[in-house]
Amino acid sequence: MSGKYILIVDDDPDLVETVSMMLESKGFEVGKAYDGIEGEEAIKKRRPDVLILDVMMPRKNGYQLCKELKSNKWTQEIPVILLTAVGEAVPTTSYSHADGMSVEAEDFIPKPVDAATLVEAVQRLL
Amino acid sequence: MKKFDRIRIGGLKVLEEGACVTSSSPLEDNRLGPSVCAPLARQRLNLTFLTHVAGDREVLCTASHVGEAAFTLLQSQADPDASLALQPGTSILAVYPHDKRPQVIGTFIKSLARARVVIHGLASSPSAISAVLSSSRIKPAVKQLFEHFTFSGFASPEEFFSAQAPPKEYLEKVVATYQEKVNKVYWIIPQPDLDLWGMSLATADILAGFAAALMEMGELGLAIPFLVALPGLGGQEFILSFSTARRQPGGGDHGSEVRRILTSRLPDLRPMRLTPVAGIFLHGPHFGDRYGIAHTLVAALAQAHISLLALSCTISSISLIIRQHELAAAQVILGNTFAAPVECASAATRG
Repeated sequence: MSGKYILIVDDDPDLVETVSMMLESKGFEVGKAYDGIEGEEAIKKRRPDVLILDVMMPRKNGYQLCKELKSNKWTQEIPVILLTAVGEAVPTTSYSHADGMSVEAEDFIPKPVDAATLVEAVQRLL
Repeated sequence: MKKFDRIRIGGLKVLEEGACVTSSSPLEDNRLGPSVCAPLARQRLNLTFLTHVAGDREVLCTASHVGEAAFTLLQSQADPDASLALQPGTSILAVYPHDKRPQVIGTFIKSLARARVVIHGLASSPSAISAVLSSSRIKPAVKQLFEHFTFSGFASPEEFFSAQAPPKEYLEKVVATYQEKVNKVYWIIPQPDLDLWGMSLATADILAGFAAALMEMGELGLAIPFLVALPGLGGQEFILSFSTARRQPGGGDHGSEVRRILTSRLPDLRPMRLTPVAGIFLHGPHFGDRYGIAHTLVAALAQAHISLLALSCTISSISLIIRQHELAAAQVILGNTFAAPVECASAATRG
């Protein structure tokens, strides 16, 4: 998987570290960002082959960022995997599963993330 | 520090509304499990932060509304010689990623020293370095961090504080959905061939000197995968424990270099080196938000007669240091205790 660049955006730094290690051990190149706005900046600097996006983040949540990417012709083709949990747990918030479905991400993976599932999802989207 | 000397780093976060309990029991061995973690787990009291050094001392944090309950519970379990103190109104401040770089950890400590805040505890996670502070001192501490770091997400302390964090109650409900029968672990990473250094600092003021020592270690390319610091009950004496790699890539011994730096920067101290030791790093998910996981870990190791030399639980992970000859047994018992991916056992270690 050399040359394939995966960007992980999550406000949990230990999770970012973990997912990076999972993907780097499979030969991917990994970029890291810690909230939605920082993720947006990272995408402008380098277009990822796959974007892994947490939902519940400060400043700009994963649904907002995904929606913006999918409505922009320059970024709409970037495959997005949303890491979700809040949708099932708190269905009445702005992080609801229905909101998640409307942003047209390519895949949804519930937290706690299974390493093999995540790597398979990334490989499937490349 | 000049602006161009600042270290660029990923981010910082503050976990507010906490309470901190410091506990010390010099006469009771192996008390972390039965006297601390077990009663808290039975009452479903979560630990947002936990540090332990072998012998006698712990610092733990809970949400503020259960701080008093945690303190009373631990007091009821403690032996007559134990000392406990409750510090309400605390917050956890963390920067990340440290990438095991002593410069990042040292600069974090130096910033807190310059802000003249009382540190109730310090702990590393695989990605972050965290400190427990009085909530009223968070603003000056963050201001100092911005003097020494640049953060990719925030240009100023004002920008950081105005950022909207996800409502905490949502996170608590999400984490409540994680209560698996067998606790899931993303990754269990063993790291053999470490030295464990221990020091007792007479006052927290000496932390600035320790920060300078860390930065000198960083200039030599040393990595710090683990660090905890715990204050004494009077808030003066500080116990510091950290690990470094034993050997240089060329085969030389790092230990003499580390000792030279520590004794030159902190001439009054007598650093103790325990070697060889091993680290085990259990990566998330959300260990700092879920009750009982530290207890499960500590109880499993105790059952296998494996002694914990030091432990930190902060952000989403637990890091522990054990004697190297117990590493294989510890990996087996942790693999049997937690649901971990198969490749964990053979995962490449870094740093």
